[in-house]
Amino acid sequence: MSVSKLSKEQFGQFVDAMLAAGRRVVGVVAKDDRFQFDELKSAAALRLDYDVTILPPKKYVLPQVEPLLQFEVGGGAQSVMNYDPLVLLGVHPYDLIAIRQMDELFSQGEYDRHYMDRRKQITIIACDVVRPSKNIFASSMETAVVSDGYDILITDIGDAYLLDVATEKGHALMTYAKGLAAAASADVEKRQAIQEANRTALNKHKLGCKVSYLPRLMEKAYNHPVWQEKARLCFSCGSCNQVCPTCYCFDVQDQVNWDLKTGERVRCWDGCLLENFATVAGNHNFRKDRSSRFRHRLFRKAKYVPEKIGGQIACVGCGRCITACVADIANPVTVYNRLMEERTLG
Amino acid sequence: MSKPRVAIFDFACCEGCQLQIVNLEEEILDLINVVDVVEWREAMSEQSHEFDIAIIEGSITRPEDEKRIEIIRSRCKIMIALGACATIGGVNKMKNKFDLEEVKHCVYGKDAHMPHLETGLTKAVHEVVDVDYKIHGCPIDRKEFASVIRALLLGKRPTVPDYPVCVECKAKENICRYEYNEICLGPIIRAGCGARCPSSSFRCFGCRGYVDNPNVEAAREVMDKYGLTVEDLRQKMVLFGCEQGPTV
Ligand code: SF4
Ligand code: SF4
Ligand code: SF4
Ligand code: SF4
Ligand code: SF4
Repeated sequence: MSVSKLSKEQFGQFVDAMLAAGRRVVGVVAKDDRFQFDELKSAAALRLDYDVTILPPKKYVLPQVEPLLQFEVGGGAQSVMNYDPLVLLGVHPYDLIAIRQMDELFSQGEYDRHYMDRRKQITIIACDVVRPSKNIFASSMETAVVSDGYDILITDIGDAYLLDVATEKGHALMTYAKGLAAAASADVEKRQAIQEANRTALNKHKLGCKVSYLPRLMEKAYNHPVWQEKARLCFSCGSCNQVCPTCYCFDVQDQVNWDLKTGERVRCWDGCLLENFATVAGNHNFRKDRSSRFRHRLFRKAKYVPEKIGGQIACVGCGRCITACVADIANPVTVYNRLMEERTLG
Repeated sequence: MSKPRVAIFDFACCEGCQLQIVNLEEEILDLINVVDVVEWREAMSEQSHEFDIAIIEGSITRPEDEKRIEIIRSRCKIMIALGACATIGGVNKMKNKFDLEEVKHCVYGKDAHMPHLETGLTKAVHEVVDVDYKIHGCPIDRKEFASVIRALLLGKRPTVPDYPVCVECKAKENICRYEYNEICLGPIIRAGCGARCPSSSFRCFGCRGYVDNPNVEAAREVMDKYGLTVEDLRQKMVLFGCEQGPTV
């Protein structure tokens, strides 16, 4: 692995060159006084100094509404599957880890071609965090830095970006970069220092145990009073699901055209906190109480999903759910710490 | 198969929801292709007239309106309440907070005693007769109207969201009003409008009515966290939240 370097100006030119060549680039831009991933028109709008985006980049990996197939009522159907290449620029390490978890989940068992075909077209340029958001706890979740999973990783070292190009897809993009130089060892040391600092500094909420202990912690937590206590104030609004980079549940719906003969099947984001998420045929809802839905989300993050992907915890500590929850009850750390303190109550 | 006969009736309202149907523009032709729209006055004058779908706009505010809606109900197979006036009583329901005689004099002055101005408590349509489907909003969302009609024509149950506005608001990546310590009714109000108001940096004021199971208790309790009071919340509920179901 070799690390190279571009001045900030050259990096901007690199981005503009991709755009000029007609590449579709999605990057982080300002939205009022917050940030979001959006279609990039020019490098000038790019804000790699962002703290966190309102929605995670999952909206480009698993869109809110995605056509699956065109159908004829009572007749045949045709899959919709043409995905164009996309460069996803500025993904923070914790969000990258979340995408990698989804890659694993959608490719195991029943291989999801819609997800995987789209995903294969995406080149990810990750970037190290320069400004911690107000609720981040990635350090606690051991997701503050990454050493793989990206196509390119960039680090802001003040006057320049260091680039770690890791894959074929990453190298292919480098043809747009002019003035690429090898990083000096002093630069690489700066980068190391930034990453080392992030490893502990992105920690506005401190998890009271090792991440790897969480699945075991949950084993005895099912009947703990904390679920009822917290969920009393839950609006079942699903905001904590929507903003979460690791929530990937979707609902499938058919939309029929005015001819009443043809239509489109789409999948759209769903959320396990919503009242009717677990309603099945016959109107039976097997998670009717707010508290059972509230509990399900945190069990999913700390136990159910880890069981499927080799123990990785499906909370990457981005802190978005904490900010998004109007009732201020969604913070996973508060709940896990409470369970730690009262391990006998479950 | 003959086309289903559809009749549209208006009661106390601003007719803004009918306007939304007109605003379907080219889609209105698609609509007319698949249904037979019966002019409402004709439909009412001919006693034996029956129709498949009756679309009711407006709320019920006078005794004679109650009779009229009962007749319509007896002649239709499916009744749809169209817009906030019809589904929850709408803005008109504010009247119920005051003494009715006072309201009448305030609005009509010296003509208040005229018999045709007789007024009663404002009711949503389902408070008088059975309603099969509700298309919420002030005004309605025309895309939603179109999809409800298509579903009915296919003999399917239309799906109307039973989750809060926050779902659509988050999907649009809006900054939550509560991040600026402003009240927004989104967490207890039914989605379907595409979070129209928060998407324009304005709070949701509740025109689509409550979700099926709103956590009003929580809405009250969280006020404290934002340096607001339950009285602040009540004021925000006045426009559309008068006397409907659970209340803050
Ligand atoms: S964001 Fe908060 S209130 Fe909304 S569903 Fe999640 S926990 Fe409940
Ligand atoms: S649970 Fe909350 S903090 Fe954890 S990844 Fe999801 S949104 Fe981020
Ligand atoms: S719901 Fe609103 S737009 Fe529709 S008729 Fe009533 S007042 Fe007018
Ligand atoms: S602005 Fe309103 S609708 Fe949007 S997320 Fe916040 S509370 Fe919900
Ligand atoms: S955001 Fe609220 S007030 Fe605005 S249209 Fe939607 S339901 Fe009505």
